Amino acid sequence: MDQARPGRDILDRALRTSWLAALALAATVAPGRPRDAAAILAGQLLAFLHFTSLRKIVKLFTEGRRDRRLALMIAAKVTLVYGGLAALITLGGVRYVPLCAGFALPFLMLFLKSIMLALGAGPASLTARRATETARSLGNAAKPAVFLLLLGVAALLAFSALPGVALADEAAHGAPATHDAAVAHGGAAVAHGDAAQHNEEGAAELPNWLVILHDFNPGNPLVSWLEKNQVIVFAWIAGLLFLLVSWLAMRKPKMVPGPFQNAVEWMVESMEEVCGGLLGPQIDKHFPLIGALFFYILTINMLGIIPGMKSATSSLDLTLALALITFLYVQFWGIWNLGIVGYLDHLAGSPRDAIGWAMLPVMLPVHVLGELAKPVSLSCRLFGNIFGEDTLIVVFVGATALLIKASLVALAVPPMAGITALFMMLQTLTSIVQALIFSLLATVYLYMMLPHEAHAHEEAHETH
Amino acid sequence: MLFPAALGLGLPLGIGLAAIGSGIGIGFLGKGAMEAMGRQPEILPKLQVAMIIGFGFAEALTIYAFVTMFFLQGRIG
Repeated sequence: MDQARPGRDILDRALRTSWLAALALAATVAPGRPRDAAAILAGQLLAFLHFTSLRKIVKLFTEGRRDRRLALMIAAKVTLVYGGLAALITLGGVRYVPLCAGFALPFLMLFLKSIMLALGAGPASLTARRATETARSLGNAAKPAVFLLLLGVAALLAFSALPGVALADEAAHGAPATHDAAVAHGGAAVAHGDAAQHNEEGAAELPNWLVILHDFNPGNPLVSWLEKNQVIVFAWIAGLLFLLVSWLAMRKPKMVPGPFQNAVEWMVESMEEVCGGLLGPQIDKHFPLIGALFFYILTINMLGIIPGMKSATSSLDLTLALALITFLYVQFWGIWNLGIVGYLDHLAGSPRDAIGWAMLPVMLPVHVLGELAKPVSLSCRLFGNIFGEDTLIVVFVGATALLIKASLVALAVPPMAGITALFMMLQTLTSIVQALIFSLLATVYLYMMLPHEAHAHEEAHETH
Repeated sequence: MLFPAALGLGLPLGIGLAAIGSGIGIGFLGKGAMEAMGRQPEILPKLQVAMIIGFGFAEALTIYAFVTMFFLQGRIG
């Protein structure tokens, strides 16, 4: 943002991103190997110190104040960063790989940001307004940075070449058995072996962040609990997201709504309109459940599109629970509105004449079975659609991974990524349509149960 | 015929047959809806809702076959 010191923002951005990356990495590793997490953070801290002091030195140097302060800064920097690194390695007994990973993170981020800048893929303001200035002044900082990065990579290679040091140790940790299982399953680079093992249906799944967390911390009880109950966890995440959006939108409701409130109100109102067309004026009483079902299922379905997340509806457990809630709700309102006798009469097919009573032994089981089939069909439809769509994407990702494994990267990635993106668009459509169908069918079932005019009743019987 | 072999032949065939049925059903629905839309464009919103519900019912049949396949897939061997 500061025009006087251009070049600062890209460095700041890179440092900020690298802090986030380091924290995420450390959090992933932490429960199983706290020492490695600490090493990553220490490396990141040292690299951060390195960059901030380097910036200070360059600033002092270009301003022409080449006095004692500059020399002191340089000495302090060298002592702090390189001395710190040396001390950590020799005294602290830290493993090289996490330390080097932590130390290389800011370099990597700076490198990536520079590539982004060069390709013009950065934010519009960055490329349009500041690109030339930033690139010019970045030259000063980037040259030593790249030099140090190369030095770091060379050092890492040198260390790994030594027999019996860190990297070999790391490779042994990486459990080749699970990796082979993943390859056999068609998901070498992306799908982890664990994902296949934990799935009861025997079909592959893309690993989500819980599975990855579990792979890194196999022994941790909390992590393995989360991993075992991932459907619930992702359902919770979706629920929290849903609550957060509704709370944010309706925190301070205004007569003339802002854009956010407007968007949410539009969604809710159009859904209410669609259901109201079926249910009539009674929609006011039932929309809380139906609307909640729609938006909750929509949130869960859409969550699966984000990499590392999973649609909780691709498990029959969750969809069956939702369908049973709908079923009990519909039956409750049926009994409430029709009364016990009216409800039984409805189940018997409303016999009014001799033929009706004669057909009773046939009609009653048919109607009861029809009622019981509703939750089954509701849950299986949602589960099958979402799961099928997920499986389709897994198959294509797995094929891509196999091609990458056969080192056909150039052949594999662009068309495969295109096909997968196409299927993801289809997944978006499926998510919306399935959420809509679930809630609309719930509305229809409710409509069949509620008392209405004679012709509507006949219609309801035809649909059975 | 061995049970796994029978499953391996039967499951994909079953899905295909179910898909034929669903496809015919959805096709008829879509045809009817399109014709109605062309004749009376003003009923579009109501028509769409009914059409999507119909699609849901027709599609469910294939989904049942699909779910059956997933439950039995592990036993192909």
